[in-house]
Amino acid sequence: MTLSVKMRAAGAIPLDVAFSVAPGELLALVGPSGSGKTTLLRSIAGLWQPDQGQITANGAVWLDTGAGVNLAPYQRRVGMVFQSYALFPHMTAVQNVTVAMDHLPRSQRAAEARRLLDLVNLTGLADRKPAQLSGGQQQRVALARALARTLGVKPAALLLDEPFSAVDRATRERLHAEIIGLRQHLSMPVILVTHDMNEAQTLADRMLVIDHGHTVASGATADVMSDPQALRTMGIREVAAMLTARIAAHEDDGMTRLDTATGPIWLPRVDGAIGAVTRVRILAHEVMLSRARPQGLSAQNILPATVLAIRRGDGPGVMVHLAVGDDQILARITRRAAQMLALAPDDCVHVILKAMSVARNQITAETSKHTPPGPV
Amino acid sequence: MIVRILRWAGACLVSAWLVIGCLAGVLVLGGGLKARADRPLIAAASTLQFALPEIAAAFRAETGLTVTPSFGSSGNFARQIREGAPFEMFMAADESFVFDLAKDGLARDQGAIYAQGRIVLIAPHDAVFEVEPSLDGLARALSGGQIMRFAIANPDHAPYGMRAQEALEHRGLWQALQPVMVLGENVSQAAQFATTGNADGGIIAYSLALSPQVGALGRYALIPAEWHAPLNQRMVLLKGAGPVAQAFYEFINTPKAIAILQRYGFVRPEE
Amino acid sequence: MDWTALFLSLRLAGWTVVILLPVSVFMGRFLAFHPFRGKGLVEALVMLPLVLPPTVFGFYLLTSFGRNSAIGAFWQDLFGHQLVFTFEGLVLASVIFNLPFAIQPAQRGFEAIPRGLREAAACSGLSPFGSLWRVELPLAWPGVMTAMVLTFAHTLGEFGIVLMVGGSIPGETRTIAIAIYDRVQAFDQASAGIMSASLVAISLFTIALTYWLSARVGRRLS
Repeated sequence: MTLSVKMRAAGAIPLDVAFSVAPGELLALVGPSGSGKTTLLRSIAGLWQPDQGQITANGAVWLDTGAGVNLAPYQRRVGMVFQSYALFPHMTAVQNVTVAMDHLPRSQRAAEARRLLDLVNLTGLADRKPAQLSGGQQQRVALARALARTLGVKPAALLLDEPFSAVDRATRERLHAEIIGLRQHLSMPVILVTHDMNEAQTLADRMLVIDHGHTVASGATADVMSDPQALRTMGIREVAAMLTARIAAHEDDGMTRLDTATGPIWLPRVDGAIGAVTRVRILAHEVMLSRARPQGLSAQNILPATVLAIRRGDGPGVMVHLAVGDDQILARITRRAAQMLALAPDDCVHVILKAMSVARNQITAETSKHTPPGPV
Repeated sequence: MIVRILRWAGACLVSAWLVIGCLAGVLVLGGGLKARADRPLIAAASTLQFALPEIAAAFRAETGLTVTPSFGSSGNFARQIREGAPFEMFMAADESFVFDLAKDGLARDQGAIYAQGRIVLIAPHDAVFEVEPSLDGLARALSGGQIMRFAIANPDHAPYGMRAQEALEHRGLWQALQPVMVLGENVSQAAQFATTGNADGGIIAYSLALSPQVGALGRYALIPAEWHAPLNQRMVLLKGAGPVAQAFYEFINTPKAIAILQRYGFVRPEE
Repeated sequence: MDWTALFLSLRLAGWTVVILLPVSVFMGRFLAFHPFRGKGLVEALVMLPLVLPPTVFGFYLLTSFGRNSAIGAFWQDLFGHQLVFTFEGLVLASVIFNLPFAIQPAQRGFEAIPRGLREAAACSGLSPFGSLWRVELPLAWPGVMTAMVLTFAHTLGEFGIVLMVGGSIPGETRTIAIAIYDRVQAFDQASAGIMSASLVAISLFTIALTYWLSARVGRRLS
């Protein structure tokens, strides 16, 4: 059920991209405003036609400008979640979802719709109209509607257009967690357009960075996040890595101890059961390095790591790639510092993290796609 | 793309079907002017506004048959008849209209004069001038600047208006009245203006002034017949007229109808 | 009270509404959703009867399908009588003359639907017809209703065109508006007064209904 996209357009919104998304894979499309990412998503949905392009889903041709094929959105199986929710105001939540179920027999639709609403944690709100729902609840209905269109049918694609930018941060974090929880149900290719790097890194398996319609970088999330080209487009302060850690204990002073591959770290109270696996997003510029294990430092989180590579940029900084077990950590330090420490690949150093540097929203539950940490 | 065109074509077809269905319904409902043959339409000059309904009632009392009169200016009716209006009989206020229709083959024959009409000067009870057959009172008020508005039927297509103009020209008041002239679409409307205070007075048909509804509203005086061409009111059966219209045409010449006409000031041509 | 004339007026208004309803929906939707070159011109043409004096309109209608025209001759051959001075002729004139009333409010109703909703409908698998029936009409129906109500009321009051194209033929083309005119000329103030008051009542009711419907459009979408 691979979704394969190739398109080119000139004019007000230039585009020149080619990529594919495997079933069950979540691809994040990121880039600055005006980069064309939303246009690209809309053309996959059939809402916009490029000058030249081919879009096929599992072999079924949705768009082929050369052959004059251009299926209308209702002829493609796309579930689209809009930034503005776009719920039908005159229908209840369950009716909004059943609208997308024309492929099911009439008798099954209501029950299936309620099941989907349960899946997105809207049990009991099925008979409310959009005006009676909060922003986060409305977006969940929109998600359920998109799932109704694409679940269990081939070929299909789930498209999310900055779906969480209109809700407040707390709701957004909750929705991220729910998406991660839903991943096992999402057997179709999923494309997420976002400008929130945290969101992209948290949710996506692969990333595609676009600028002015061109692909700047594409690949596995971790790789793209350390790609200098991508960094330039996304903004250097967004560079981060995901560290896998298992919750070991909730201490009395409000901190939680988590075990990583090479040692424990303490973070302010993390929600979760003992033994649960989480991923912690560590921004590169918040990481300090030390040759010897430091003493008398306020920071408690000191992890042994191995230097993998040191990449120079245009400015005064360097990006150091380190391995902590199977995870990669990125540290951005000045070139002067790197020279002073005489850093070279294969060196053993210590990575130092301030507990307070890690924001609450940067700790998420583990998804099945990621391997748990080694020892412990 | 082609599918989209086909769908729009489908939409247009559905609409077209709806429209045709409606029109068919309309035709079924409204069609059947032929069914009107038993209640023929009579185009009658406005001067007959009060006289003709009485004649039609007498006709029904005697024969049990009904006619449907319509009132307006003779010229307007002549135009409508030319455009195919479904009248079966035309009672004009001036014979020239009848002759023209006959010449163009729209009438059965030259028709017959059924009456001669007269014009009167009329003004509301609180008039600003003396209502005299000589129009002297009018002339005085006019030169004194007391006349704000004066109503006659439109001379372009209403015979009573044409005669009013001739009489005024004869008396030398036509030019002077121009600035204050108000034209009624037919002589009934002129009477409306002249008697309800919307105009200071006017020249209308004698038959209208004789009716209770109008006469009570003001005072009037007959204008000398020599001052204008005669109002030879001619009626004619139009092409396609049915038996009921024919019967009515003949009824006009019976004593009963003549008596009614005389009551409204119409004179028979022989007199 | 001339009941024949009143029923004639109601029949005329009724048929005009019935014929213009699909036109209102499809043209209103088309103009609302599809930008195209020359759209401004089409909209201006649709609005033309609104600003054109009725007599000008009546004149052109007479020349287009009066006795001396191609359409008139065709009708004569087909039905044995003229199109002018008949109820059918009035319906035709009324349909043309009411186009702006029928299309404009419907167009506004459809325009008020956010673009995102229509896109969501398409992405949810609704064909254009499905979208029209299940999403657009439920949201735009107050606009369509306003269009029909205005058309109905406007037809009831139409005078100049009815007079020119229909004459004043009792039972066929003498609408209540013409009947009032006729009664005034016959110095029958009483009848004219009763009929006028009835028309005022109907018009007031129509305006109230239109305002109520407009408020609904706003509420529907918020």
